[in-house]
Amino acid sequence: MPKIAVTIDDKKLDVDAGKTILEICRENGIEILTMCHLKGLTDVGACRLCLVEIEGINKLLSACTTKIAANMVIKTQTEKIKRYQNITCELFYAERNHVCSVCVANGKCDLQKLGYKTEMDHIRYPYLFPQCNVDTSHAWYVLDHNRCIMCTRCVRVCAEVEGAHNWNVMNRGNKVRIISDFDTPWGESETCTSCGKCVHACPTGAIWPKAIVQGQLEKKPEMITELIEKRKMNL
Amino acid sequence: MKTATPATDAALAKDPRLKLIAAKIKKENYKPDALIEILHTAQNAYGYLPMSVLKYITKQLHLPPSRVYSTVTFYHFFSLKSKGDHTCLVCTGTACYVKGAQAILNEIENQFSLEPGQVSADNKLGISVARCIGACGLAPAVVLDDEVLAKATAEEIVNKINAKIVES
Ligand code: SF4
Ligand code: SF4
Ligand code: FES
Ligand code: FES
Repeated sequence: MPKIAVTIDDKKLDVDAGKTILEICRENGIEILTMCHLKGLTDVGACRLCLVEIEGINKLLSACTTKIAANMVIKTQTEKIKRYQNITCELFYAERNHVCSVCVANGKCDLQKLGYKTEMDHIRYPYLFPQCNVDTSHAWYVLDHNRCIMCTRCVRVCAEVEGAHNWNVMNRGNKVRIISDFDTPWGESETCTSCGKCVHACPTGAIWPKAIVQGQLEKKPEMITELIEKRKMNL
Repeated sequence: MKTATPATDAALAKDPRLKLIAAKIKKENYKPDALIEILHTAQNAYGYLPMSVLKYITKQLHLPPSRVYSTVTFYHFFSLKSKGDHTCLVCTGTACYVKGAQAILNEIENQFSLEPGQVSADNKLGISVARCIGACGLAPAVVLDDEVLAKATAEEIVNKINAKIVES
């Protein structure tokens, strides 16, 4: 891969061309907050957390969907970025019903971790308290829309890795919901193979296996990345 | 597998609207990319998208059901609920147009103050149009609920609609 020169947070780096800003930052130990990114899946720029400032461009761009280019001067830790990340995190909490103390993911949740990272101490927006279903129809797993942040990692892992296409998104605006098939109860889906990949891809307590108790959720999204990388190897 | 199941064959034979959709799918060469165009045809023919029709389209195009449902719920043009208890579809294809489809639509508008795509305030009647339902020999053709009315006249259609509305 050809090398190009870029500057990230005042450090000059020689990096691979053709990669995303997020990939380059991760390779160089520069921390970028993400939610919808899961290494190996197609990036869609849904969560807007991985924002970076690029000299000469006056809007913030998502690092996961922006390709690195020669001579880019990138900043990842500015006040402006932090302000936006705080807003985004608070909006996640205000949009659905996150009650961590009674959530299976309590202590193991990426959204909770994000709250700590952004040092969220209150939420300045009114809570929407939407009416959300909890789909318990599947024999092994549960989908709790109250905890979903619409990152679509479940949608992508199911389509791109499992090839089952059980999940998608319905409606728009704040009425969006994850659906299986024709908004069919998960347990009655004709496409779900019960592989469990979405359970591990989901960063919150929205998808979880029934056979666990509150706070005991153990998710391994890195397993999905590993699977994708192994498939690419010509064994 | 591009052949229809026996159940859809039976439905196809009975329902000219489904025939219209089948023809559209064929014309688009079963391309999944043509989903939106095909949904348009279905929406226009029925005034909404019945689940049975969605399932039929999904099967024919070999699409994941969630993709189809996602598309349908994204665009405001599509609707999953019946547009009116009774639906009156007037064919405005060439043959029917020539034989007076517009006069029928005009009379419907005079009598019920409804244009194609509209539903009465009490939800009793919805009016829609389609481009050639494949029954040109019957022109002008009108589909009132599930009944195909051949060589329709404006007066006859208005009377039939009135009878339907009173009956319900
Ligand atoms: S999903 Fe995460 S943030 Fe939401 S209630 Fe559960 S633990 Fe809390
Ligand atoms: S269910 Fe989980 S993985 Fe799927 S969109 Fe919601 S939060 Fe993301
Ligand atoms: S990780 Fe880049 S937008 Fe979500
Ligand atoms: S034009 Fe009306 S049926 Fe063909």
